Amino acid sequence: MLIELKDVNKTYYGAQPLHVLKGINLNIERGEFVSIMGASGSGKSTLLNILGILDNYDSGEYRIDGKLIWNLTESKAAEYRNKMIGFIFQSYNLIGFKTAVENVELPLFYQGISRHKRHEMAMDYLDRLGLKEWAGHYPNEMSGGQKQRVAIARALITKPDIILADEPTGALDSKTSVEIMELLKELNERDRLTIIVVTHESGVANYTNKIIHIKDGVIGEVEENRLHDSVRFGSDGALK
Amino acid sequence: MRFDIDRYKEIIDTLSRNRSRTLLTGFGIFWGIFMLLVMLGGGDGLKKILSENFSGFASNSIIIGSNNTSKPYGGFKRDRYWLMDKSDIEAIKTLVPEADVVTMMESQWGYEFVYEDKSYSGILKGLTSDYLGVESPKMRYGRWLNDVDCEQERKVCVLGSRVWENLFPGEEDPTGKHVRIKGTYYQVIGVDDRKAGININGSPSESIVIPYQLMDRMFNKGGKFDIICMTLKGGVDSDTAQDKVRRLLARRHTIDPDDKQGIMMLDTEKIFSIVDNLFKGVNILVILVGLGTLLAGAIGVSNIMMVTVKERTTEIGIRRAIGATPKMILSQIITESIGLTVLAGMFGILFSVLILWGAGQIVSSLPDMGGGISFQIGFWTGILVLSLLVVLGVLAGLAPALRAMEIKPVDAMREE
Repeated sequence: MLIELKDVNKTYYGAQPLHVLKGINLNIERGEFVSIMGASGSGKSTLLNILGILDNYDSGEYRIDGKLIWNLTESKAAEYRNKMIGFIFQSYNLIGFKTAVENVELPLFYQGISRHKRHEMAMDYLDRLGLKEWAGHYPNEMSGGQKQRVAIARALITKPDIILADEPTGALDSKTSVEIMELLKELNERDRLTIIVVTHESGVANYTNKIIHIKDGVIGEVEENRLHDSVRFGSDGALK
Repeated sequence: MRFDIDRYKEIIDTLSRNRSRTLLTGFGIFWGIFMLLVMLGGGDGLKKILSENFSGFASNSIIIGSNNTSKPYGGFKRDRYWLMDKSDIEAIKTLVPEADVVTMMESQWGYEFVYEDKSYSGILKGLTSDYLGVESPKMRYGRWLNDVDCEQERKVCVLGSRVWENLFPGEEDPTGKHVRIKGTYYQVIGVDDRKAGININGSPSESIVIPYQLMDRMFNKGGKFDIICMTLKGGVDSDTAQDKVRRLLARRHTIDPDDKQGIMMLDTEKIFSIVDNLFKGVNILVILVGLGTLLAGAIGVSNIMMVTVKERTTEIGIRRAIGATPKMILSQIITESIGLTVLAGMFGILFSVLILWGAGQIVSSLPDMGGGISFQIGFWTGILVLSLLVVLGVLAGLAPALRAMEIKPVDAMREE
């Protein structure tokens, strides 16, 4: 079991305490292609933050590959994120004043890998995603789809256990969205990567093999979706 | 932290991303360093110019002058005129053990010195070879008076540089030539090149020096003179020595020992220490003002870095999300701050060194300056200022870096 969540609770203490996650139990195996679906306010972003070790939870247990993620120091958390998790964000989150290849190199920079080696690896990943010619370009010179592929290359470069994608198609048009989802699907099938996609779009969720519905801070229905026919969207490539 | 070219490239990237802001922020540091160094160098140069004026003059000498008495004493009325003679010199030598060289000076103003068809009006001074202990001449040609000149009362003279320039235009070596003074011819034995500076009874450059005995006879002084120049032995207290001399002379000439006007005494050590203290004060002021300006610049850097960190919340959040530890972020921001301060400071150092060099060139080329006056700051001052810049950079970067450390990776996703 790669990811194990047992009765995870999270409350935001504001003016009005907000109990966002109310006992989440969730298991994800290595190599699974899963989506977490829910409306806004359902707690899916909070769940994603906890899965990505970006945020703490109040009670319960979260293990990655058997390692308990609890009360980590900032530098330990940074190390785990760097080694085990690759992030793909809705807004790409590339660093604007760095070229594509420099953006992809960044996680390796923080691992202390030599300049030459990380450049070689970054070029290799960009090549695999068909962006070799764009290596020297800055994010604002690229299309949304290209930017997201650079972000995917950056997520992949550390060979993480888990890829966490937060609304990866949220800022893309439907054609590019299909391309990105196909790419994620291919990465899952070919490289046996564990990919977790958080989305509120059923079409996007339909690309994954398992759809986990979250509503009001609890896990609802877990849908096996091997045939990709859970919704009428997506079957013919129409995502939106 | 390990060495990595990208770290430095990153700093240059971030600094050049907002060029005008970097420039304005850096200007504060630049100006601070510039002011500090220019003022330090300028003060130092001025001090050098002043001590150039003092150079050649024994810093532990006492000049004694006889003057009209200002108090009645021992049956004498006030306003009595008195003069000293050789026996006073002997008395000082034997009774004041602190005294080293004791010698008289006789001078007359406004005498015509004539050489062939040229003449120059200056000061005629009668001195003995002992006087070398008080003031050391800077000989351009020939030599100064020696013991034999004085003993044998040779008709020889040493020209001041101004006198020489006027009597021997065209940089001619005058030694061996004869100059006429008051109807008598004196053979020139040397030229003293000492410029203005502190002097007794007139600038050495405007004077001609002849043996005292000749002077005494020429003006029928009968062995009397009104100035004694003396130096003290090393390590003795000048106040005690002065007091002893004053009491001795007062007793010998029946003058009130408290009559400061009747027996005038000038202690060069006092003057030197006044000038020294003055420049110490100037230096403290300069350092205060300079450091203040520099500090203001550093606060400016800190402020701007604070704004930059706020602006870069998303970027820093991304870095944290993909594996940067807070320590890495801290060191990045501090390195940026050091980079900015040191870079701006280096320009400040460079510019001030250039300005000081220019000032030195201009001053050195002025006449009457002796040449070779340098306003330049010392090498170690430069190193000190450079390390000060690094410290300031760290301090300026501290607050922004601590704020940057508090940015959580989730913040990258919130601010879109």
